Amino acid sequence: MVGTAHALERTAARPRSTWWRRRGTRRALTFYAFISPWLIGFVALGAIPLLLALLMSFTNYDGLNLDYVRFVGADNYARAVNDPDTLHSMQRTLVFVGSTVTLGLVVQLGAALLLDAPVPGRGLFRTLFYLPYVVPVVAGAWIWKIFTDPNGGLLNALIGLVKPEFAMNWIVEQPTTVLVLFTVWALTGGGMVVFLAGLQGIPAELKEAAQIDGAGPVSVLRFITLPLLAPVILFQLVVSLIGAMQIIQQPLLLAPGLLGPGTLPPRDNYLYVVHAYHEIFVNQRFGYGAALLWILFLITLGLTLALVRSSRRWVHYEEAQ
Amino acid sequence: MRTHALRYPALILATAIFSLPTFWVLVTSMKKQSEFAGLRLFPEVPQWVNYQLAVTLADFGRFATNSLLLATSYTVIVVVTSALVGYGFARHRGPLRDQLFIVVLAMMMVPNVVLFVPQFVVFAKLELTNTYWPWILWALGASPLLVFLFRQFFASFPRELGDAAEVDGAGPLRVFLQVFVPNAWPAFAAALIFAYTWVWGDYLYPILLLNDANTTLAVKLSTAYADPHGNPLQTVTMAGVVLYVLPLVIIFFLAQRFIIKGVVTTGLRG
Repeated sequence: MVGTAHALERTAARPRSTWWRRRGTRRALTFYAFISPWLIGFVALGAIPLLLALLMSFTNYDGLNLDYVRFVGADNYARAVNDPDTLHSMQRTLVFVGSTVTLGLVVQLGAALLLDAPVPGRGLFRTLFYLPYVVPVVAGAWIWKIFTDPNGGLLNALIGLVKPEFAMNWIVEQPTTVLVLFTVWALTGGGMVVFLAGLQGIPAELKEAAQIDGAGPVSVLRFITLPLLAPVILFQLVVSLIGAMQIIQQPLLLAPGLLGPGTLPPRDNYLYVVHAYHEIFVNQRFGYGAALLWILFLITLGLTLALVRSSRRWVHYEEAQ
Repeated sequence: MRTHALRYPALILATAIFSLPTFWVLVTSMKKQSEFAGLRLFPEVPQWVNYQLAVTLADFGRFATNSLLLATSYTVIVVVTSALVGYGFARHRGPLRDQLFIVVLAMMMVPNVVLFVPQFVVFAKLELTNTYWPWILWALGASPLLVFLFRQFFASFPRELGDAAEVDGAGPLRVFLQVFVPNAWPAFAAALIFAYTWVWGDYLYPILLLNDANTTLAVKLSTAYADPHGNPLQTVTMAGVVLYVLPLVIIFFLAQRFIIKGVVTTGLRG
């Protein structure tokens, strides 16, 4: 308090100081000095590229014709709507996103619920669930390729114990199944940690009170834990949805055989961003690809808003005191 | 106690299933190539030579150095810039501060590919492809995720912290460096790990921006191991995968607490 009074006194003693010496201005300058790296970066690497991407989507730009590029109006957008590859890839993306987000939620929440108790060896279990989350995609894709390999894979060997002579070339015959399992496996750790944090925020007295009233573990979960966790579940669903819509590295890396820059995944894993990537960097259709990505952005935004809107029926925030 | 009895077998079973793919990598990395497709589940004799082959066949040292160089330079810069920006948002005031912070959050939502396409065109025009400059520029511009992390962290410090130093006449930068930074090492540790893991693990940007000579281990690993006929050598590949992931796993074990704290602080996944 003494310090504040002292500072005020000093300002008051010099009321006619020039504008750049004024306290408010200096404070503002300090703030802008601190955030300047981001601000400059945002303009140069964020705002301008976004504007360019928007402009590009209305042109016939192919990466080389900068000198005689021309505006083609909404042609790229019209073309996207009529491109069977676009529709196919969007359909496959929605299948992938739907399965990954729901299965991911169940696994992440399940792991968190199992670990939300003082079980012995809790740290070890938590570490084992978290570990795949630090494994880079390139390594993760290899791990799943070998795990599901028709000849040397453990998965077929295990199924063979129940169903002798079982043979399935998973990444060729069931590529989306492998992609979903791989993605869920890789992301479990991150979501689990978020849910564990959420679970720790639920007062223990509430559960105890319900148990004293005779509620079993299922009722406690259904009527106490899940409703109180709903805001965290919504957050996790939104983050997973946005991430899953943009997935590209995983399907490319799971493609069978040796990989190169032009390698395409099997048709089932030809997801939307893979399609955009292929159009841009392989077919050199920058304008068309930019339009595809803006369409994706709008669809993702629409789905996110729909999810948030639907949440009004199942997420109830506690009244702010 | 009753719930315990049920919970424990469930946990063990779930963890076991979950760890199967990882376990299989370790097993496969020690098989002879001729044992890969065989009926035996486990190698007759552990083939440690696979690890040696993984290093020599892929020129592992060279590409690991590339990854190390790229990841280290990106990480050091991005952590410094993001900490400064996060601190600015948390502890200083200026016009439009809250609006600008919403822009930071919004930038986390924009699909990276949308930004990358025009960036790529500009990088190519400026002849920055095949160099590490794009990463340096990204790092200088700070990362929205890390800005968010640092902002949340610095905002949680008590108000009085820093006031005393300011009264003593220390400038804003000195207050930041001498009062806040020494108290923020968990945030720095989490940010370092996030940034480092991102570059070390990224496949897409190196394959689009770099060439065969200066690319990273992530790219090399996706194609390096084949016999002279072009058939993949799965066993050696798995040894390479283990060597590639090992540094991250070690860092993870050393710094687990910070990662988890960082994730919880931002409520976001790295």
